[in-house]
Amino acid sequence: MRSPASRLGFLLLIVVLVVAGIGPVAAQDPVEVMIWHMEQPTYRVERLQELIDEFNAANPGIVVSQEPQNWGEIYTKAPAAVAAGNAPEILFAIPDFTPIIRAVGAVQPVEDFVAQMDEAHTFFPAALESYSYDEHVWAVPMWNMAQSLWYRKSVFEAAGIEPPTTWDEWLAAAEALTTDGQYGIGLPANRNLYTDQTTYDFMINAGASEIYNEDGTLRFDNPATVAAYDFYKQLYQYSPADSSSWAWGEAEACFASRTCAMVLQFTVISTYETQAEGDAEDLGVIAIPHSDAVEESGTISYVNAAMILTDDPAKQEAAYAFLSFLLEPENYGRFLNMEPGLYLPVTEDGSTAESYWQDPTVVKYQSQIETMLENSRNGMLFGFTGGHTFPTIAQISAQNLLAQTLQSVVIEGVDPAEAVAAGQEAMIEAIE
Amino acid sequence: MDSTGATRRARTGQRRAASLRQSLSRNWLGYLLVAPLMLWLAGTILYPLISAIRISFLDVGIIGTGGSFVGFENYSKILNSDKFWSALGRSLLWVVSNSVIQTVVAFATALILKQRFRGQGLARVWVILSWIVPTVVVVIIWRWLLGTSGGIVNYALVALGIVSEPVGFFGSGTGAYATVVLINSWRWFPLMAVILLAGMQGIPEDLYEAASVDGASAGMRFRHITFPSLQPVLFVMGLVGTLWSFNVFDVIWLFTRGGPSSATTTVPVFIYDTAFNSYRLSRSAAASVIVGVILLIFAALFIRFMMPPDEKEA
Repeated sequence: MRSPASRLGFLLLIVVLVVAGIGPVAAQDPVEVMIWHMEQPTYRVERLQELIDEFNAANPGIVVSQEPQNWGEIYTKAPAAVAAGNAPEILFAIPDFTPIIRAVGAVQPVEDFVAQMDEAHTFFPAALESYSYDEHVWAVPMWNMAQSLWYRKSVFEAAGIEPPTTWDEWLAAAEALTTDGQYGIGLPANRNLYTDQTTYDFMINAGASEIYNEDGTLRFDNPATVAAYDFYKQLYQYSPADSSSWAWGEAEACFASRTCAMVLQFTVISTYETQAEGDAEDLGVIAIPHSDAVEESGTISYVNAAMILTDDPAKQEAAYAFLSFLLEPENYGRFLNMEPGLYLPVTEDGSTAESYWQDPTVVKYQSQIETMLENSRNGMLFGFTGGHTFPTIAQISAQNLLAQTLQSVVIEGVDPAEAVAAGQEAMIEAIE
Repeated sequence: MDSTGATRRARTGQRRAASLRQSLSRNWLGYLLVAPLMLWLAGTILYPLISAIRISFLDVGIIGTGGSFVGFENYSKILNSDKFWSALGRSLLWVVSNSVIQTVVAFATALILKQRFRGQGLARVWVILSWIVPTVVVVIIWRWLLGTSGGIVNYALVALGIVSEPVGFFGSGTGAYATVVLINSWRWFPLMAVILLAGMQGIPEDLYEAASVDGASAGMRFRHITFPSLQPVLFVMGLVGTLWSFNVFDVIWLFTRGGPSSATTTVPVFIYDTAFNSYRLSRSAAASVIVGVILLIFAALFIRFMMPPDEKEA
């Protein structure tokens, strides 16, 4: 290597070797994180995509993407995807869905990450309860949902009635509001999750919130449950004739079109704002009326959470980074407001975050959202009550046995006591 | 052993082997071309079939989890399940009611489309539209049409004074079952009509002209010329159509998910529900095997007793 040409050649060789050496590092594939969630409406998908895009831009080594799914199919699709090796890294869940995915061995414990987030944002204790069992935490709480009774104040005023607080008042209101072209109430009787939820609303408000005894045996078949089904049947006569095939959307549409005077929903704000008159002053929301058997109203309440399905440490880290980004107060409010008024915060700093309360829709419907938050404080979920967690509720929930029992009462006309007894038998068979 | 008989059998075997060799050497290109398809079918049909039979002898719950051997326990549970027999009964009613409605409407449609009239070409394309439209779209359209709030069918029924308040077509078991049968028939009859029309166009006009000269009425011409001439077509449609109809899942699931109160739970819905909602995959596989055997027996009997004489000779 004496000549300049030789030296230049040597230098070039060094440069090539160095570039070749660092090449693989520079061209290393980013870590991909796929999210499956069940928030299908376009505006929710778009809001989440905004946040994903911001996260991806700020984290060049990670590529997060989303694939909206359907609650009607996810109980089938997710286990199949896990079995086929195509599971997403993050799968959103409700408490009774988690045990199904745990059974196929895919869910990773997340207590360490949850502890970090708790320290940073402080989870409401109830948010963690339904995901904490078998010595682990199985999902990261993301938001809460609770059902309320929605109505139009002007419709009640025109009928000369007050919003109901008890079952007697509720039945009388439904009857009074059933007029030509208007049904007093829209109640589902389909065999699906929505009907499970509304049925459980009635059970809670009849004093039948506990499906299990403390020892894990079933206590579904009891007089309070029978009373709940019996009252549901009485109210159902004021519901549209095709509500036996409803999901959430049909109920919202019925309310928006003024065909239903009252509906039980997590929220109607978006459809009321975009497809109905959008008059915040006229939109009424109250706690679900209760029977004489209980002192105050309760409601079904779902803490939705994110499960981590990957055991790859790099993907886990990337997934945690994204969830951590969502839970930051400046992002959390925007995340919850992908459907303003539907998703309620599960962290202390999230519940006061400006990003949550400054959304224009939230500002407009602030009083309704405050009522929803108030209602959610008396929220509970079947299989996760009284400080106990019974993962076998997953089988009962997956088969929609609360709704199936309701169908036999309101559609087949079976006596509520007989139907509830048969429902308990079906539950025993389901979890055996 | 009878040595004469053994010699005869040996000669027969040699003749068959020689014939097979001759056939292979003569048709090797044909076998080569068809081999990939046969391998594809073996992979896509035989493998899942064998897998289903294997799973039916295990106790697998959720797809993707393991299971241990339980012998015929799943078969026993299915055969003793009231839900299974109820679903089978609904499936039989489904097949019969769909077949009757579709056959009658398809025959009438084919006879009309066979006539010469202005716009015949357009009519023949138009009639098949309902079959072309994807199932999901069909379901959404009919849901809108039949809804109680804003559905045009209910609006018309109330406006015409036929009913006093909107009808919940899916509100009762009987109503839901009948509605889904009618919509499924509406969806499938065009295909049947087109096949029948093709069959009718193959019937020589001379036969009709001769019959007319002999004074045969339209009904007699249909009974003695059209219907017998369509026997081969009807045989194939009867066999394939029954199997297709029995296996219909999408329309029922999308409309009712088997409800209300299991009123529309036919066998395919029962099998799906057992596997993916009740998480009893092995029991569902056993039901599938049982139903597969029932359909095979049906196909064998149908071919044995319903095949037109001409087809048998061929």
